[in-house]
Amino acid sequence: MQEAYIVAGYRSAVGKSKRGGFRFTRPDDLGAEVIKHLVNTVPNFDPALVDDLICGNAIPEAEQGMQIGRMLVLRAGLPLNVAGVTVNRYCASGVETIAMATSKIRSGMGECIIAGGVESMSLLPMTGWRTALNYEIAKSTADYYSSMGLTAEAVAKQFNISRQAQDEFAFKSHQKAIAAIEAGRFKDQIVPITVEEVYLDANNKRKTRSYVVDTDEGPRRDTTVEGLSKLKAVFAAGGSVTAGNSSQTSDGAAFVLVMSERMVKELNLTPIAKLVTSAVVGVEPRIMGIGPVAAIPQALKQAGMTLNDIDMIELNEAFASQSLAVIQELGLNPEIINPNGGAISLGHPLGCSGAKLTVQLINELKRQGKKRGMVSACIGGGQGIASIIEVL
Amino acid sequence: MEKTNTSRAIRKVAVLGAGVMGAGIALHFAGIGCEVLLLDMVPNDLKEEEKSNPKSRNRIVTDLFNFALKSKPSPLYTKAVAQRVQLGNFDDDMSKIKDVDWIVEVVVERLDIKKLIYEKVEKYRKPGTLITSNTSGIPINLLAEGRSEDFKANFAGTHFFNPPRYLKLLEIIPIVETKPEIVQFLMSYGDKILGKETVLCKDTPAFIANRVGVYSMAKIFQLTTELGLKIEEVDKLTGPVIGRPKTGTFKLSDLVGNDTGTKVMMGIKDSCPNDEQAGAFVTPSYVDFLLENKFFGNKTKKGYYEKTKDANGKTVVNALRLDTLTYEPSGKVEFASLKEAGQKEALADKIKTFIKSDDKGAQLVKRSLAGLFAYVSNRVPEISDNLYSVDDALRAGFAWEIGPFEYWDIVGIQKGIELAEAEGLVVSSWVKDLAASSDKPSFYRTENGAKKYYNQATQSYTVIPGTESFILLDTIRDKKPVFKNSGGILHDIGDGVLNLEFTSKMNSLGGDVLDAINKSIDIAEKGYNGLVIGNEAPNFSVGANLAMIFMMAMEQEYDELDFAIRAFQNTTMRARYSSIPVIAAPHGMTLGGGCELTMHADVAVASAETYIGLVEVGVGLVPGGGGIKELALRLSDSFFEGDVQIPKLQDAFLNIAMAKVATSAQEAFDMGFFRKGTDRIVMNSKRLIAEAKAEALRMTEAGYVQPAKRNNITVLGRTGLGSLTVGVESFKMGGYISEHDAKIAQKIAFAICGGDLSQPTVVNEQYLLDLEREAFLSLCGEKKTLERIQAMLTTGKPLRN
Repeated sequence: MQEAYIVAGYRSAVGKSKRGGFRFTRPDDLGAEVIKHLVNTVPNFDPALVDDLICGNAIPEAEQGMQIGRMLVLRAGLPLNVAGVTVNRYCASGVETIAMATSKIRSGMGECIIAGGVESMSLLPMTGWRTALNYEIAKSTADYYSSMGLTAEAVAKQFNISRQAQDEFAFKSHQKAIAAIEAGRFKDQIVPITVEEVYLDANNKRKTRSYVVDTDEGPRRDTTVEGLSKLKAVFAAGGSVTAGNSSQTSDGAAFVLVMSERMVKELNLTPIAKLVTSAVVGVEPRIMGIGPVAAIPQALKQAGMTLNDIDMIELNEAFASQSLAVIQELGLNPEIINPNGGAISLGHPLGCSGAKLTVQLINELKRQGKKRGMVSACIGGGQGIASIIEVL
Repeated sequence: MEKTNTSRAIRKVAVLGAGVMGAGIALHFAGIGCEVLLLDMVPNDLKEEEKSNPKSRNRIVTDLFNFALKSKPSPLYTKAVAQRVQLGNFDDDMSKIKDVDWIVEVVVERLDIKKLIYEKVEKYRKPGTLITSNTSGIPINLLAEGRSEDFKANFAGTHFFNPPRYLKLLEIIPIVETKPEIVQFLMSYGDKILGKETVLCKDTPAFIANRVGVYSMAKIFQLTTELGLKIEEVDKLTGPVIGRPKTGTFKLSDLVGNDTGTKVMMGIKDSCPNDEQAGAFVTPSYVDFLLENKFFGNKTKKGYYEKTKDANGKTVVNALRLDTLTYEPSGKVEFASLKEAGQKEALADKIKTFIKSDDKGAQLVKRSLAGLFAYVSNRVPEISDNLYSVDDALRAGFAWEIGPFEYWDIVGIQKGIELAEAEGLVVSSWVKDLAASSDKPSFYRTENGAKKYYNQATQSYTVIPGTESFILLDTIRDKKPVFKNSGGILHDIGDGVLNLEFTSKMNSLGGDVLDAINKSIDIAEKGYNGLVIGNEAPNFSVGANLAMIFMMAMEQEYDELDFAIRAFQNTTMRARYSSIPVIAAPHGMTLGGGCELTMHADVAVASAETYIGLVEVGVGLVPGGGGIKELALRLSDSFFEGDVQIPKLQDAFLNIAMAKVATSAQEAFDMGFFRKGTDRIVMNSKRLIAEAKAEALRMTEAGYVQPAKRNNITVLGRTGLGSLTVGVESFKMGGYISEHDAKIAQKIAFAICGGDLSQPTVVNEQYLLDLEREAFLSLCGEKKTLERIQAMLTTGKPLRN
């Protein structure tokens, strides 16, 4: 077995879906920009060396259809020999692809793989255009198809997470994200993307303009706990989960370059990190938000580590209720979780998020001079993922 | 005035002033499809940096417009209406009025300000452009003073009532200089296009409706004190029992605003010192009490009435005691006359009951009517040359079922004179002359299906102009009906077209009505050109006769229920499949079975104010008369190659499962109850039956062919059922619906998907009707459904269980 290393990793800024800077940007265009930047930043790197591109995506149809993994390769202008594949593990897709790339290389089934994910929630409804569900499941166990909001309510109820606690968690997420943006902490990891827009002006004349998106659009400076507490529950009568304490729907792309030890040496590159291990575990679909409670111990066990070995956790904030339930159930140290905010403030472009969090984690570990971190997320349908990352 | 001229094209309208009335008028014009420019003031407190910012400069108009959009009941037919209104301000955008066809001024009721606005208007207005004012109190001729000749020639008062979308009255007040064709245009456009009851008024104080309506209110105030009545007694006595709105008198004042009401009353008092009953226009001391304490009514949540909660949290309505000026729980109202009148069916009989009785309740009704009779006798020809205009104005503006002269006809002219004179009031001589002229004098009479009024100038009966083009069922009642049973009357409305009018309580559909529908189609097929199903009641139909269903379900007579539902389905299908065009003319509430019948007609000619929907869920049932089948059929017709189908299925399903009711005919098109290109809207519901008849004749003329039965309906089976089922379960899990709601919704899902077919399948109508009927019957055996029906029958309100 040879080791697999992450050589580089970048992300786009995360746009607000439907009204942000990427509201009409096709995900294949958006992802291609990040991939181009990724391969160009590695010194003396010949893209023809890439064996495969593994793209995470949670709604692989319409603009994200036609097997977007392959389309991204072509759209980014990578050589034709580079293959491409699309992987869907919902919200964990982006980190799952990095795990797949790592294990492929470790087992000798490749030397160099681009892995990550892209999602446009502006262009697609969350369950796709045609939601055709199984009647037999619907009749017997409709909660297999529970909407994410309902699972968040179920988690809040089962684990006694109060509305107040959820709103405070959401508020802190925004505070941390704003502080990170102001300190320029995301600058090095974000690929500024120029968006070209053809539009009609006030006189109905066709015009062209372009603008650059280089900053996450989700965080709100003016959010207050009081303001959050006034929002209505949106998923259940008398519930506690609101638009304010849920993750934001977003557009974004993030990719890393995973390379074998051999190639790293050959090209004389300095790797930045490696994925130590990754675990996925299934849980009750009805309370899918507690997925990490099962996945985190599993990943630690696989790595022979304990929570004490982990310096930082990027815990995907699908909902404040499930984040808090996970922290509570595993006794996690809140101080090391999401130092720069999470999906509630920064946004959650489903299939991209895992890769985006990995990029953020690597950069923040380095900045703080820490060694080991973890990316963990709950997954629709009832699963959890936890991946341990070590910076080098 | 003839109501036929709509020669001018109105494409764009400018409304100056965006207050409650201005914004409402703007949105009504937008609702009928016009482009609208709505202007108001630039705020006078702009900061330096805001002065060049268009957004800041339009702040007032924007705020007022947004406020109007949120008002209830909604001024919008559909959300899209608002997009037709362009906002601006008097300083920057006045030049845009050069492109409009009609300028409606609705600024604050001050002569000096209105005149300033007109000066600006004169600068930009293209000659010939219509300009009207919505003043309610300022004489129109004063407004026109100092204006150009062209301005005056195209100027008139157009007095809308609040809210403009819903209140029917539009008073048209020309000045001497107004060109006759302008008056004619306004009368006609207001009627046909804006859907209003247009009433030609003279330029007299408060015009017609407010002058007489406010007098009537003042008189009742006066009598309340005199007779020592409680306000809740007066409201009962002056409400529906005498053909007036439920608010009666004091609740109406609370609704209008006691401050506003008093202002109008004082306005009339000041400008009409010579009215023989000027003394009636006094504000009693209790009005001062309300005004001093700012108890303006509904808008301040306290007026003549207030709502409080008792120790158990139950809402209690307290009424003001006029003598002590304290609030006490509103009590039960008991008068022998009221009780007796309440038992009578016809309004005329109710009125006559009060006239012949003599308790305090009857005295209030009698004496207020006596005052009203005397007052209106002296207002013709002062405020209108025609007595019918007074009646039209009160009916349309104050929602009275009948106007003053119509009341008088019921009482009898001579008896009315006696009542008035007994009060020491003066009745105008023309009425006395009329009373003396024959044995059975009356203000109105019907001859050959035409309603005529007594013209006091010519002392003869004249057809009410414009009504020739209406078909008013009331005017053909003296003709022998073609067919009649306990559920409906079939009239011949001319040119070989029949009209079936329901006569059941609230036009609910029971066995007798179904018989009448079938019989009417049978008759029409044998030698008529078509059938209209239409009526002039407040609502087209509130749906199936629940009492009948409840009885059969309670007795567990499922075979009979099955038979009854089959009969219902066969009847709606008969409306679709007959050899003559069948036109439904829905208006007002068109619910449940009424909706199903409408959807099965060849064409629906609908009033703009039609509230249609399948509401069976509210009583624990599903549509059983073809409603689900028809939505499934229309859904299938909307499918196209590559269509993802499921979202449309969800919309159709939710219409039924959430008992959605369209808030306007326009919205009903969006919801699929009406079909684009087939069904259509009539703005003035008074013209509905005439328009429906015209539609029947058009179809006959074009060569009507009985439609072929449908056997090509694509239903989605399991493919759709999976998604709908999960949706229902999610709503249940979210606590939005009860177990029983979910059960009903599942049955709707099953029927609309064509059952659990393994794949999308082409089916026929009968297959779907059978599914729908099975669903209906299975629910009739559910205890919770029976509880829901019972609650509706006993309380009139839906029960959620």
